[in-house]
Amino acid sequence: MMKPVYILSASIVSPQQHYEHEGFLDDLKSSHDGTLYITEPNYRQYINPVAIRRMSKLLKMGISCGMNALKQAGIEKPDAIITGTGRGSMVDTEQFLLDMIKMEEEALTPTSFIQSTYNSVNGWLALQTKSNGYNQTYVNRGTSLELSLFDTQMFLNETNEKSYVLAGCFDEITPDYIKVKQKVGYWKQPSPNSLYLLNNSATPGTIAGEGAAFFTLSNNSDNAICSLQSLQMLQDAGVDEVRDAVNTTLSQSSLSLNDIDVIICGMNGDIRQQAVYDAIIAGSPSHTTIAAFKHLCGEYDTSSGFAVWMATEFFSTQQVPDILLLKKGNHANIKNVLIVNHYILNSTSVILLQASLQ
Amino acid sequence: MAGRIVITATGIISALGRGTGEQLQALTQKKAGLRHALHLKTKHAGEFLLGEVDYSNDELSAILNLPQGDNGYTRTTLLALAAMQELFEKTGVDIYTKGAFALINANTVGGMCSVEDMYLDFLAEKKEGPFLKYIDTLDCAESTLNIARYFNIKPFTATISTACSSSANAIILGSRMIQLGLVNKAICGGCDALSRFTLNGFNSLKNVDKEASRPFDQSRFGLNLGEGAGYLLLEKEEDAINRGADILAVLSGYANTNDAYHPTAPSPEGDGAYMTMQLALDKAGLTANDLDYVNAHGTATINNDAAEGKALQRLFTDKQPYFSSTKPFTGHTLAAAGSVEAIFSILALQNNITLPNLNFTTPMPELQIQPVTEAIRTNMQHVLSNSFGFGGNNVSLIFSRA
Repeated sequence: MMKPVYILSASIVSPQQHYEHEGFLDDLKSSHDGTLYITEPNYRQYINPVAIRRMSKLLKMGISCGMNALKQAGIEKPDAIITGTGRGSMVDTEQFLLDMIKMEEEALTPTSFIQSTYNSVNGWLALQTKSNGYNQTYVNRGTSLELSLFDTQMFLNETNEKSYVLAGCFDEITPDYIKVKQKVGYWKQPSPNSLYLLNNSATPGTIAGEGAAFFTLSNNSDNAICSLQSLQMLQDAGVDEVRDAVNTTLSQSSLSLNDIDVIICGMNGDIRQQAVYDAIIAGSPSHTTIAAFKHLCGEYDTSSGFAVWMATEFFSTQQVPDILLLKKGNHANIKNVLIVNHYILNSTSVILLQASLQ
Repeated sequence: MAGRIVITATGIISALGRGTGEQLQALTQKKAGLRHALHLKTKHAGEFLLGEVDYSNDELSAILNLPQGDNGYTRTTLLALAAMQELFEKTGVDIYTKGAFALINANTVGGMCSVEDMYLDFLAEKKEGPFLKYIDTLDCAESTLNIARYFNIKPFTATISTACSSSANAIILGSRMIQLGLVNKAICGGCDALSRFTLNGFNSLKNVDKEASRPFDQSRFGLNLGEGAGYLLLEKEEDAINRGADILAVLSGYANTNDAYHPTAPSPEGDGAYMTMQLALDKAGLTANDLDYVNAHGTATINNDAAEGKALQRLFTDKQPYFSSTKPFTGHTLAAAGSVEAIFSILALQNNITLPNLNFTTPMPELQIQPVTEAIRTNMQHVLSNSFGFGGNNVSLIFSRA
């Protein structure tokens, strides 16, 4: 069993808000077309101005979000950079693929090919921070962010020296991606207003989203927002297995469901994925708040990054904004937050975070 | 800490053949696996020599008892399953039921090999057909999850993508998880199938050689692409001894670093490669003098071999090392290269034999060291394998005699 590690900063680029925004979900964005694209920050303060011109959106959001997380924590050069992405740069992948098909394998330029590699954000983050240390990119669909956090916890458990890790995730959607996945029934038809997604949970399908989330973590608790206690990842798991994973996660920190103040659930409006959450909610005590988030960020492989960022805001503000509430509990303060997220391709993760005592 | 981590089984498929035995035979007999593509449907098939696996998708499916035709399995996954089949035949499946185990896979372009031929169908409004079985196969985890489903196992699963060092990183992660007591065993490796996407991508970078590549040669021009899959079973030495398993090698050292120099090019003096090898030696408690053979990354690109060659020269101050690149045998198998060449390095170690660097004739003027071009019998205790990737992702692994 690994010791907890500490989250010192959290940064977000999302359909709702990005790292330049001071408030917390106080200016809600919505859509009617089944997609939630990010609101773009001014990337220039974080990315080399010469390089930025050729970068696609995913690189810009990933790199700038990572740099912002480091800036918030006051860390210039992390000891490790560990990220997760389900799909990497879809824009670059599609562009090189379609160019190759259209140009019949002739006269291709390499920029989109290079940027389509899944580790390109990591490479740029290392380059910009001059970080020669451990560098890793996970590409495991719905548990890519979780693997980056898991490896971060491993890395910080392997040393007794005070160390800092930049961990995070990034994924993007494109019009072609929406079109392709519609063929296998990913999206809800017709699309509801995104803010009302969860009021439409009796039918299959969800809405698509994207974003980046980055965190600075350390094995030292100074100035921490919260601790990452432990996390579990499951594939093709049934309701019982998920419940067992929740219980294991809690018992590893000597907690029970009674100790959880907020459960963040990743329900996405798709009735096919609702059973996992119904079981969790049914088993939760009355004083526990239940919060949801995919009506704000959409469904994507690394949407749990949005949930972890939200949790850090809960700890900092001791508030759960009304727009997130499925059930308001009567807990005194917010100390323990459990995140349960299920992704379309049948992966589930359980993450336990605990407020740091300052 | 859990004591030493050992390798007790391997499974592999490459242009050199299916199974670990076929690899050794081809390597020692200097029989390269490069050819003009028979299976990859590229316009450039007659132009580039590639390390294509002999078997067609239907032949691989037959080996795996899967339906013929568009069965929803990409070539990437079929290669992974074929390599894993060898590993499971050697170990049985019972040993994985005792305690937690991990499956750590690595990949660079997922099922692109299938998707690139179907993509216009993917985009066509209302069109239906067998291609629908491939719609969720583009991402890198599809091969990982198919391994678990095909062999009916429920391991901790992870997929890594750090370009050409991906599966070397999978081996490091497996070792670390065992050391931390998170799992008892880890199957680690990677897979990649040839695709037009990667062939044209590397060709747009103007670093693909149409002829057989010439690592560490003055006349080198670029790499040959290849395909394959390789997996290694890692476990604690005491567990392996207790269950009476053959110990193939000890994973005695490793390092993962980043060049932080350029998005695609290595630092020209090989600083990154040098640092990675030195850190791996430090981890193993060894010095360069202890290394009997180095399986170089050796892509035969102008930049890689200059940087890696200089790094090797700096590392070996007291002796001329035996080093070679085996990529002219298999082509560059990208995400699989780290694990494929880890298996080659272990074969060198077990058999006390250097692996030949094919197509070497003219030394590079900037290097005083030269690759070994023959399978030379020599006593081996420690071997090192390098894997360096785009994005500055460098890995060195050290394997030692048990």
